[in-house]
Amino acid sequence: MPDTTVFADVAHEPGVAKPDPILVADGVVRRFGGLTAVDVSHFEVQRHTITALIGPNGAGKSTFFNLLTGFDQAQEGAGTFDGTALRRMPPHKVARAGMVRTFQLTKALEGMSVMENMRLGAQHQPGESLLTAFAPPMWKKREAEVTERAEDLLQRFKLYEKRDESAGVLSGGQRKLLEMARALMASPTMVMLDEPMAGVNPALTESLLEHIVELKDEGMTVLFVEHDMHMVRRISDWVAVMAQGSIIAEGPASTVMQNPAVQDAYLGEHHDTDLSEDQS
Amino acid sequence: MDILINALDQMLAPATAAFAIAAIGLNFHFGLTGLLNMGQAGFMLLGMYGYAISIREGLPMWAGILVAIGVAMVFGLLLGWPTLKLRGDYLAIVTIAAAEIVRYVGRSNSLIDITGGSLGIKGNDYKDPLESLSPFPDERITIGPLTYHGSASDSWWLRVVAWTLVAALLVIFWRLSNSPWGRVLKGIREDEDAVRALGKSVYWYKMQALIIGGVIGALGGIIWAHGSAVVADSMGRPTTFWIWTILLMGGAATVFGPVLGSVLFWSALSLVRAVSKAFIPESILPSTAIEPFGLMLVGTALILIVVFRPQGILGNKRELAFHA
Amino acid sequence: MRIELDKRFLRAAALLLIAAAAFIGATFIFGSGSAAAGTVEPVPPGTSTSTLLVQNVINGLAFGVLLALASVGLSLIYGTTGLSNFAHGEQVTFGALLAFFLTTDQPVSIPLVPGTFTIGLPLWLGAILAVIIAGGTGWLQDRFLWNPLRRRRVAVLQQMIVSIGLSLALLNLLQWWMGARRVRLTASSGDRITFGNFYIGTQTLMSVVIAAIALLAVALFLLKTRRGRATRAISDNPALAAASGIRVDGIIRLVWVMAAALAGLGGILLALFDQGVGFDSGARILLLMFAAVTLGGLGQAFGALVGALVVGVVAEVSTVIIAPDMRYASALGILILVLLVRPQGILGRKERVG
Repeated sequence: MPDTTVFADVAHEPGVAKPDPILVADGVVRRFGGLTAVDVSHFEVQRHTITALIGPNGAGKSTFFNLLTGFDQAQEGAGTFDGTALRRMPPHKVARAGMVRTFQLTKALEGMSVMENMRLGAQHQPGESLLTAFAPPMWKKREAEVTERAEDLLQRFKLYEKRDESAGVLSGGQRKLLEMARALMASPTMVMLDEPMAGVNPALTESLLEHIVELKDEGMTVLFVEHDMHMVRRISDWVAVMAQGSIIAEGPASTVMQNPAVQDAYLGEHHDTDLSEDQS
Repeated sequence: MDILINALDQMLAPATAAFAIAAIGLNFHFGLTGLLNMGQAGFMLLGMYGYAISIREGLPMWAGILVAIGVAMVFGLLLGWPTLKLRGDYLAIVTIAAAEIVRYVGRSNSLIDITGGSLGIKGNDYKDPLESLSPFPDERITIGPLTYHGSASDSWWLRVVAWTLVAALLVIFWRLSNSPWGRVLKGIREDEDAVRALGKSVYWYKMQALIIGGVIGALGGIIWAHGSAVVADSMGRPTTFWIWTILLMGGAATVFGPVLGSVLFWSALSLVRAVSKAFIPESILPSTAIEPFGLMLVGTALILIVVFRPQGILGNKRELAFHA
Repeated sequence: MRIELDKRFLRAAALLLIAAAAFIGATFIFGSGSAAAGTVEPVPPGTSTSTLLVQNVINGLAFGVLLALASVGLSLIYGTTGLSNFAHGEQVTFGALLAFFLTTDQPVSIPLVPGTFTIGLPLWLGAILAVIIAGGTGWLQDRFLWNPLRRRRVAVLQQMIVSIGLSLALLNLLQWWMGARRVRLTASSGDRITFGNFYIGTQTLMSVVIAAIALLAVALFLLKTRRGRATRAISDNPALAAASGIRVDGIIRLVWVMAAALAGLGGILLALFDQGVGFDSGARILLLMFAAVTLGGLGQAFGALVGALVVGVVAEVSTVIIAPDMRYASALGILILVLLVRPQGILGRKERVG
């Protein structure tokens, strides 16, 4: 499934430039106390591709993710998304700009119904402003559109039957699906998935993978953090490897995994990961 | 029988309506948004001062109400600005401290010309405009077992105004909590980062909720002031805690929870007083101890509700209002 | 929780001074003319402002040390369990009222028990007993209330509201017990030691010395003993502490006992300092204790000391400028100001919030 044609002329080295980058990070540094968690000198994500961000535990992947999406602020450096500078941009503005993320620890809003979760993802709902909220005629029409789109997505993600139930009753995997579907409600141009497969049972993993590939088919760009190499290999067009806060390797899954630096980084962390194994 | 009539009297009292209103305000804060406002009594007190002082200084009633609303809005802005970006308990500490500052300043002798110091502002100074609007006769009227004056002070007219206001605020709460705006607030209550990630300005929504709930608290203060007087010490920390008890007992995030809570709270308190006076001998519970005894039960009730039924009487267990 | 006077601390202290100056300036502008509205201590007419200022700093430091003793337990509890305990004020009152109960010559009674009796122990013995019993209430509370709540994984905010309920219940229980009167632990108003233009009451001096010794003991406990180090470890990272074999529940039980006992002792000493105690004395200073703990950095045991000294001095010194009945308001004002500038407190680590 991976499609590497667009990367034909791109060198397999960290920080390499891409033909049409949608997201660019430059000199991003984040320190906690004396500890440097992230120090990425240059990183680009190619438009309309699925890029995986992998690396051993504590490599700084989630922190880097938070920096890109505005949930954390870098001490130095900044990114640009689709031409917009991201420096000091609060997370909700990043989301409005079209880059919507999910979380490693799934954030299904458990006190609300599945449908309300979905509706919350929609943008441009006039009823979300205090004054117009008083006057339903001003937002009922948009609400109907939103609901229709939500129903479509719920059907696609096989959650339609649960639409009126509380999100709290969903299984872990269903919550992941709901979170992804909710992110799509915002009609993003880029989707950032933080460990979408973590804690999902094998049956659902398959459909999650399909959904991620569909995102690309619909013209979105996907960047995802993942631990599971098999998943990465199956769907990602491009892989970036982080270790100790920096990008140490880039390239298609097959070449990256042969890279000695990558193997060192992983072996230093857990010896039982067999990177060369291929089950797909 | 007298005991039951007393309880009925308490159910309809302006104070009950005033606390129901303050609890509706808190329902915007805590029930919808999950904000820990521990200074609702401060909003009430500011509303009372804004209203009573404006009218005493010769402004018309509508201007007094506007001043009360304006003061509460500014107070909410000032409190929310530094704290709504911080962890929830910072808001709790700042609001409780700010409410106490309002009370200390209000009761201070140095401002006696404005606030009346610890004695407060007399009812005659501000009650006239509302009472002169009364369509009821200027005499005591008996309906069923209850007798009140038609228009003056603790009157039928005040009861009508107070409960009409309660009804209007219930409609507003229902409308807003079932709107997309209310949906964003509920999302923030559940997990603010998730809502941020969906492109909503969490800070701004929290600010709106804090202000609207505080303004409603100030309106509750006006009703309270009409039922009794503007005295700083009647709006101390215990008052805020009672409002919390009322909201949690009735059911946070529900429409009728604050009203049910307030009615139950005040009638139960009056029942406890009356029953313990009638049935517990003076040697065991002296008359001076009845008030603290009743309020001790309030505290105990709050503990039991929070531990065993945090969703309150009307609440939905799934929509628990406690997070993080 | 290391004590280090590094640049970070100096910067924080400078910030605090600026905040205090701004506040005092603001009160000058808004509250001018109110200074004459009556002062706490009988100051001879003609005393210069600077003399008054120094005297107020002395009073403030004394009050601050006592406040620190009362609030150190609040800080320990927050540090180890994350709970902002609103019932801590009643613990403070309880110690003082219990000491009165045990030592007074007047007839006393217990709620629901008919009849009166007199105990009349000497003050030192009554105080020691009161502190021990107060510690016992800490044990009981944790055993029957807080530990079960933690086991049920009740959210911290929920626990905080439970503590509010407990505070309401205890406050009214104390009023039921002692009535609304104000009682004194000793009849003597105490002598004064005068030095130059300044003075300090002997009772106050005694209280401060005892409080300082108790605070020193707490510091030694935290720094030198195994359990103290375990306490700090839990404050730093409960999960890690548990994983490294520390019995978290046992330490928290100990913290509750210590917190309640220290609050009791603080209450007794404050009652001597204030020359009296009522059922709501602790409730009145609860927010000052929160201010002290928050200023120092929530959960930082040594921060509570610094914070309490700041709060004490600010409260007393502000009476030079604003009416004495607003002095607590000024300390709370400082709290809000500091939260604006430095939400993690003076000594607190920078923490990711919001």
